[in-house]
Amino acid sequence: MPDFSILIEYFDVYMEGFINTIYSSIIALIGSFVLGTLIAIFRISSIKPLRWAGTVYVEFIRNIPLLLVVFVFFYGLPSLGITLSGFVCGTIGLTVYTATFIAEAIRAGIMSVPKGQTEAAQSSGLTYVQTMRYVVLPQALKIVIPPLSNQFINLVKNTSVLGVIAGLDLMYFGDQVASKTYATFDTYIFVALFYLVMTLPLSYMALHLERRLAKNG
Amino acid sequence: MILFRQVEKHYGNFHVLKDINLQIEQGEVVVVVGPSGSGKSTMLRCINRLETITSGELTVNNITVNDKKTEINKLRRDIGMVFQHFNLYPHKKVIDNITLAPIKVLGLTKQEAEKTAMYYLEKVGIGEKADQYPAQLSGGQQQRVAIARGLAMKPQVMLFDEPTSALDPEMVGEVLDVMKTLANEGMTMVVVTHEMGFAREVADRVVFMDKGHIIEEATPAEFFSNPREERARLFLNRVLNH
Repeated sequence: MPDFSILIEYFDVYMEGFINTIYSSIIALIGSFVLGTLIAIFRISSIKPLRWAGTVYVEFIRNIPLLLVVFVFFYGLPSLGITLSGFVCGTIGLTVYTATFIAEAIRAGIMSVPKGQTEAAQSSGLTYVQTMRYVVLPQALKIVIPPLSNQFINLVKNTSVLGVIAGLDLMYFGDQVASKTYATFDTYIFVALFYLVMTLPLSYMALHLERRLAKNG
Repeated sequence: MILFRQVEKHYGNFHVLKDINLQIEQGEVVVVVGPSGSGKSTMLRCINRLETITSGELTVNNITVNDKKTEINKLRRDIGMVFQHFNLYPHKKVIDNITLAPIKVLGLTKQEAEKTAMYYLEKVGIGEKADQYPAQLSGGQQQRVAIARGLAMKPQVMLFDEPTSALDPEMVGEVLDVMKTLANEGMTMVVVTHEMGFAREVADRVVFMDKGHIIEEATPAEFFSNPREERARLFLNRVLNH
């Protein structure tokens, strides 16, 4: 049994980290979804420079460790005279990194919508943007929900990189607690439990959504 | 109304359309027949620029289809299209399939668009299916919805790209009946099909294509009883005697 007195004594500390992790997750989730969709649209665009830019972005960022992407913002920006907190840098890094995976998932989703859908929409006079918005994206989203929910669960867990750059997240405060109690193992068990409180419901929701979508075909 | 003049089209090295010259007048029903791969569908799809031509001139209502200055979306409003695989929007109810373009393109209100949609759904005989999803309908019903969707834009011409080829045999008739009604009401129609019965009965003119060329243009009576070209004769032998 882990020592629950640690949890009770440092509950406020844990909670502060927990709340910050939720904030960071939500901001990065929305940010990476918007950015990822945009990049996905770039990547399937008929305009070559856009396609090229999208590909370069995805291939570079997703093939670098997340920690290094975050370091770029945390240690790189100050050399340009911009200093942001660990929380902000970590969340931006996370957004930029996760966006690549979301872009790939959405791109695959868009590509899987039959070409006839676009042709039907365009032959009725809808513009490219209208075709995307009313016909292609709603169908693509259905297909990408399972891979996207995976990415979102990864995102929540990946917020732990904030701990390395004093990002005031759950991992950061977990480190603080551990250095005070010296009960390293017990301390991190509670950290893990706090992560599970966030990720298990997400997992469950993903499963539920997947089943519902499967039913509706 | 639709005019092809010396139209050529290449897909890379493949020469799909060769020196196409064709004029289609308002109110005319033109049926395009020919072996698979003869370029019929490609020719049809050039009319609303789902395919682009390589050279030559193609105009609809005196507007050059492939001119960069042409607002293609504006031109497409007036050209309805029905596809082999229906291409209904699976995530939208039947009624919303039909009202999407009238609302977003023509700027109709939802009520106006739904009223028009219901009128055309009744016309194709499936008013009661308005609130269902495409997947709940049979192929023939889906294709009739697709026709209603095209008509709801009140186009000046309707293009049909093998509208019955993906249907079970017992559903072909219901779709052809709708098309016959349209033809009798004076709709300008260009129909690519393998339904020779339909061509014979409904067409004002039959266009026979082979290997990217228009080989023969004639009234159905002439074409079916006395085709001038050898290739047309061979084709008719194959499709009529089986």
